[in-house]
Amino acid sequence: MPVVYVNIFLAFIVSLMGLLIYRSHLMSSLLCLEGMMLSLFVMLTVTVLNNHFTLANMAPIILLVFAACEAALGLSLLVMVSNTYGTDYVQNLNLLQC
Amino acid sequence: MNLFASSIVMTLLMLTMPIILTSASTHKNKFYPQYVKTTISHAFMISTIPMMMFLYSGQEMIISNWHWMTIQTLKLTLSFKLDYFSMIFMPVALFVTWSIMEFSIWYMHTDPNINRFFKYLLMFLITMMILVTANNLFQLFVGWEGVGIMSFLLIGWWYGRTDANTAALQAVLYNRIGDVGFIMAMAWFLLNTNAWDFQQIFAIEHDNLNIPLAGLLLAATGKSAQFGLHPWLPSAMEGPTPVSALLHSSTMVVAGVFLLIRFHPLMEHNKTIQTAALCLGAMTTLFTAACALTQNDIKKIIAFSTSSQLGLMIVTIGINQPYLAFLHICTHAFFKAMLFMCSGSIIHSLNNEQDIRKMGGLFKALPLTTTALIIGTLALTGMPFLTGFYSKDLIIETANTSYTNAWALLTTLIATSMTAAYSTRIVFFALLGQPRFNPAIVINENNPLLINSIKRLLLGSIFAGYLISHNITPTSIPQMTMPYYLKMTALAVTMLGFILALELNSTMQGLKFNYPQSPFKFSNQLGYFPIIIHRLLPTMGLSMSQKMASMLLDMIWLENVLPKSISYFQMKSSITVSNQKGLIKLYFLSFMITLALSFFVLNFHG
Repeated sequence: MPVVYVNIFLAFIVSLMGLLIYRSHLMSSLLCLEGMMLSLFVMLTVTVLNNHFTLANMAPIILLVFAACEAALGLSLLVMVSNTYGTDYVQNLNLLQC
Repeated sequence: MNLFASSIVMTLLMLTMPIILTSASTHKNKFYPQYVKTTISHAFMISTIPMMMFLYSGQEMIISNWHWMTIQTLKLTLSFKLDYFSMIFMPVALFVTWSIMEFSIWYMHTDPNINRFFKYLLMFLITMMILVTANNLFQLFVGWEGVGIMSFLLIGWWYGRTDANTAALQAVLYNRIGDVGFIMAMAWFLLNTNAWDFQQIFAIEHDNLNIPLAGLLLAATGKSAQFGLHPWLPSAMEGPTPVSALLHSSTMVVAGVFLLIRFHPLMEHNKTIQTAALCLGAMTTLFTAACALTQNDIKKIIAFSTSSQLGLMIVTIGINQPYLAFLHICTHAFFKAMLFMCSGSIIHSLNNEQDIRKMGGLFKALPLTTTALIIGTLALTGMPFLTGFYSKDLIIETANTSYTNAWALLTTLIATSMTAAYSTRIVFFALLGQPRFNPAIVINENNPLLINSIKRLLLGSIFAGYLISHNITPTSIPQMTMPYYLKMTALAVTMLGFILALELNSTMQGLKFNYPQSPFKFSNQLGYFPIIIHRLLPTMGLSMSQKMASMLLDMIWLENVLPKSISYFQMKSSITVSNQKGLIKLYFLSFMITLALSFFVLNFHG
């Protein structure tokens, strides 16, 4: 497999680990989510351009649109949490205890 | 013949003089009431000239003065129809009004706005004259609305009192419902006969006249307080007694009956509308006579008596006797106005006491009023050879011998006996027995204004029936031969009513008061009609509209269906489903470990 794919895949794994292992701020996991989206975008673009999948030229752009929506959603949730608690510390999200 | 037109025009013009002179501030003068009274008495005397000319020669006249406008093919003029009906009604109305004006100088003596009162009464009289002499429907409508407006202003004369305002509003609203019928008739005549003149309407042959005649019957129901649109008449007793005497006994409430009488050439051939009028009149006369039996306010009893007599007039129209109905209008005016004036004299003497349970023993204290009240009562019930006899007895005889609805006839007879019963009640409670009023008042009827006016109407109540019925032109032929029992029916039921009422009243005098049972409550509360109609319909309408607008649209569709229901559902289901502890970092770490573990296991298995 060409080296560029391995590279981007590695970027994706690093962002994923950043999403799943974080200390206190919710914002950092959102940023890593963006990183994952970015790496996926690059991988998709490189694949489509190198293999001349002309019909799939739209796919990265659509992926980008959905990533933007998702980022907005994540940010709004962050703002909601921040409005209630003042900070975005993850240990505040414990209302669903039963 | 020349004198006919000129005297009529002079009469009508003379009546308008005091109104026109208000612009010259004659109306601030101290003697304005006397001026108005003298004007009316002179107008009465002049109007007897054309009446006698008409009775002598039998010639009618139509004065068409002024061409107002022509709308495409409709020509509207100012025209006066001076025929049998208007020629005889005008002197009668003017005579009664003269006496009432003289009475109200005494009655409203202490009122600061007495000049305005007289102006209103005079304006009412003018519009009534316009109504009576109108030759086209438009002019009649002008008079019709005019009497309605003046009735409103006069009922609410003491406008500081809430009940008076409510009663005035009630009168206007009920009259308005009748006006819808009038306008429907006008529209039908305009569309189908292209005229609003009586001559043209009566000359054309129509095929089906149900719609306009039903409209006119509705108008008469509203204006003459027939059943269904009747509550305004007893409520109208909130006005001063002269107003009750003039408007709501002799003049305005007969406008509805007068309208039907005017259209008698059309009603002769329409059996449907005649039957409708018959049943409506019979229902009215029975219902209002039953309601009058248990009222305690003397003016309300007389108001219900008026309503009952109006029902009798409509019954007369229903058996196709317009001339008899007209005769009853003229004779009824005399004794009813006199009854109201006597009650006004009693009320004023007892220091504004209107409850008959608090009167009594006035037989010796107010001799002239007592005399007049008793004679008026006898005339009302149809005592032979007083005024009421000549019209009322003829009506009952004709109804007995005509091919008519038996139920209507029976109810009319029962109502006739009830007439005697409640009249006895008035006489018994107000005049006989020991006094039940506060003894520290001065009872005085020595004022010549009061005495002269009552005396005049007294003479009218005794002699007018004879004079009128023996001098008028022959109209529809009365029934000459009938069996004894039919001839004596009216007298017999009246006697029955008298005796029964007298017995009951004197027997129950000293007994313990028992709480009212259902028939008493039905009669006293006017058949629950005002309570139901005035409250129930508006409440239903308002609450339904509030529920539709506020609850249905706003709160349910816009608020609850999508937004709130989704959020509610989600919250409930998430609480049900989740059993979280909120350890988010641990959960994400578990993702990580699972991924790593699966990577290693699946990669290095082989």
